[in-house]
Amino acid sequence: MRKFLKTKIMLTVMAATLASTSCTGGTTADSGGESVSQTEVLLETVSGAVDFEHEPDSYVPKKDHYNFYFTYKTVHPWWDAVALGMEEAQRQYLEQGITITYEYMAPEGASAEDQIRRLEEAQKQDYDVIGVDVADDAIISPVLDEMIDNGTKVMTFSSSDAAEGCKRIAYVGNTHNYQDGADLTEALCEKLGYRGKIAILVGSVGAPCHEDRARGAKDTIAKYGDMEVVATEYDMDSVDLSYELTLKILEEHPDLDGLVCCNMSNPVGAARAVTETQHDVVIVGMDHDEEALRYLNDGVIYCLGVQDCFSIGYDTIQTAVKIADGNQPGELFPEKIDEITTVIYQEDAATMLAMLYGDII
Amino acid sequence: MKQKKQITNKTIVFTAVLGSLVVLAMITANTLWAAWKTRGVTDDAVSEVSAFYLEEMADRRARTISNLISNNFEHMEKAVAFIAAEGIDSQEELRDNLGIVKSLLGLHRFALVDEDNIVYTQYTTYTGRSRHAFLSEVQDNDRVITTVTVYGSSKHLCLAIPTPELTLMGKKFKACFVQLDINEISDLLAFDDQNRANFALYAKNGGNLSGTELGPIIKQDNFFEALKGHIPEADWNSNYENFQNGQYGSITFDSGEMEETLCYVPIPETGWQVAVLIRESLIRDRIRDISQENFKTSINLILFAFVSVLVLAVILFRQLKQFSRQKLEEEKETSRSFRQLANTDSVTGVRNKHAYAENESIINRKIGAGEVEKLGVVVADINGLKHVNDTQGHAAGDKLIKDACVMICQHFKQGAVFRIGGDEFAVLLQGQGYESMQEVIDRFNKKVEENIKEDEVVVSIGYSVLTQEDHQLRDVFERADTMMYERKKELKAMGAKTRA
Repeated sequence: MRKFLKTKIMLTVMAATLASTSCTGGTTADSGGESVSQTEVLLETVSGAVDFEHEPDSYVPKKDHYNFYFTYKTVHPWWDAVALGMEEAQRQYLEQGITITYEYMAPEGASAEDQIRRLEEAQKQDYDVIGVDVADDAIISPVLDEMIDNGTKVMTFSSSDAAEGCKRIAYVGNTHNYQDGADLTEALCEKLGYRGKIAILVGSVGAPCHEDRARGAKDTIAKYGDMEVVATEYDMDSVDLSYELTLKILEEHPDLDGLVCCNMSNPVGAARAVTETQHDVVIVGMDHDEEALRYLNDGVIYCLGVQDCFSIGYDTIQTAVKIADGNQPGELFPEKIDEITTVIYQEDAATMLAMLYGDII
Repeated sequence: MKQKKQITNKTIVFTAVLGSLVVLAMITANTLWAAWKTRGVTDDAVSEVSAFYLEEMADRRARTISNLISNNFEHMEKAVAFIAAEGIDSQEELRDNLGIVKSLLGLHRFALVDEDNIVYTQYTTYTGRSRHAFLSEVQDNDRVITTVTVYGSSKHLCLAIPTPELTLMGKKFKACFVQLDINEISDLLAFDDQNRANFALYAKNGGNLSGTELGPIIKQDNFFEALKGHIPEADWNSNYENFQNGQYGSITFDSGEMEETLCYVPIPETGWQVAVLIRESLIRDRIRDISQENFKTSINLILFAFVSVLVLAVILFRQLKQFSRQKLEEEKETSRSFRQLANTDSVTGVRNKHAYAENESIINRKIGAGEVEKLGVVVADINGLKHVNDTQGHAAGDKLIKDACVMICQHFKQGAVFRIGGDEFAVLLQGQGYESMQEVIDRFNKKVEENIKEDEVVVSIGYSVLTQEDHQLRDVFERADTMMYERKKELKAMGAKTRA
């Protein structure tokens, strides 16, 4: 718990620092071009990449029952991990005599329109707080503003915040997507000797987290004259589509040197395709998909940026309770509660696999 | 007769002691033989005991899990029936009722799933297709049993059944399920023999599901990865096939210092194996400990029996000794009585002629040995006894004898008085009696002379002392007897009655 607190405090300080720099996150690049992950420095071991040990803070809720509504981009294992953190928080509140009920809903495919429909429906119900993992910040942010104006308490969570200036009350999740994309790409560039052709796989069109990472990747590649982005594709958070897109890219660019994957499904589909076609392509990607971790362990994927989904879920519920009680960002909680990303390599894969999935079945 | 009694007592003692020793010897020999025999067969029995014991333990755990699964399916059906009958119209009502059935039936994370894969639990409603992949199997099966690893490596057993008839809030529900934490299942398997054996649950690939350690070699690792190098490859392969095919098996392997035996049995429908391991050396040591304890107990029993027999023997011996002593005392007393009776004159109560003869014999021996220097003999005879008997009867005669004896005894208090004939007494004087003999005789004679005048008892006495010429008492007696006759004449002259 002490380690967790230390991490949280440092991350909070870091988030405040980073807020002063434009759209940078929890990672920075040094002047020499070598990237150093600040969050990674904070972790003594890879096992600290996900914090499963949480306890409620000292805040005393004003009610004994809260009812929330959360909606996220798409049905996907990444958000199932977030859900487990939420359930742990709900269980701990229940032990204190506080009942928390909530809905945690998403469409089968990412869709801003579907999200708007869900938010409109939710607004008609008597929820204490509505939480949103923004599907498309340009489309959803105005909707959130309108809900706030109508008196609904709205927060954002997981990996995609609303657009700058949105009136939503607070955000819990990854505040450094751009930097995550830049860090992964920097590692890729270093691996390739700062030369080569790169393709970028993105998730859902308009999804802030995916788009930010893609921007970070492009900006990093742009720094090196011998490197170029030859393709950018969106898999809409589908592994199958990611696989097909990778095959297409490899067909169009058989001399491809690297792939930057900006979401959880990208690296799985990309690794499948690269393995199948026997191409020598360096893959960097995001998240903790079990198949992706096994590809990392086998050396097919070079590195993965693992987000602490469990803590995102836990802190989302804890923040929602405070917001429901009428609190605003300030002493009780910051406007953006940052969660860490840890870049792991082949030597870390077995540990991460054991930690997240065990050795069964 | 006395001799015969002594033989009987000895026989009893001898028989008791010998019998005790034989019994002790038999117990000791039997105990030593049993201990030796137990130790001898221990090693042979250990393997057999281990296999039987382990299989039984593993079976028991497998049955526990099977019963748990059956109970959960049964409870799920009851829960669905209950909820269907409640006429639920809102999500709040559904959550309340899910809470009720979960609590009443002890169902862990009981959830309903609608046809859009929305999962409803007591506290949450969520889209669950990616999270619960096993739900896709429900429609094609009566029931689904699946093992899942939850993000964070927590392992769960998911049980699901279809609910084709269930419609709530205008939605069709396709399934319900429970999610059992395998750690909690492991706790159920921690029977009372937990400290004597290790157990663990395994998936088909040998992955540890329960998080429990299976001995120092396998630990919490993958079953088959850990056993590589510890058993022959052929055995490894056959056991791997057993896991894949859900079959029983057992493995014995050397872990360095000890021999370990494990047994695994399949748990129906789960694809799991429950393995139980015990160290044979522990069993062997345990059996040896038990044998050793039994041996010690037997030794203690022998010692106890020995001490008991010893104590009983001592008591018996003492009692027999006491009994013998009593008998001896009684015999001595009887002998003494008989002897006293034989040496006592029945009329006067003084010692009789037989006693005098015994004393005479003893004194003669002492005279011969020169041990006697001073000895006086007084011979006394009652005057007129025949006359009294003839004229007044024998009763009066007896009275005269008694009166005469009393007079003699009163005067010769420090002498030994014997009645040696019908009217004749002898007094032997030694020590103080010898020293005062003459004085007493004078007083006696004076009394006799007075009695003549008063017609009382008249006794004639003669006396003599031992001289150097005397070789036996008889010599002294004869002189005294001669003197007594002289005195009798003298008294007759004084008027005393005589036989004539």
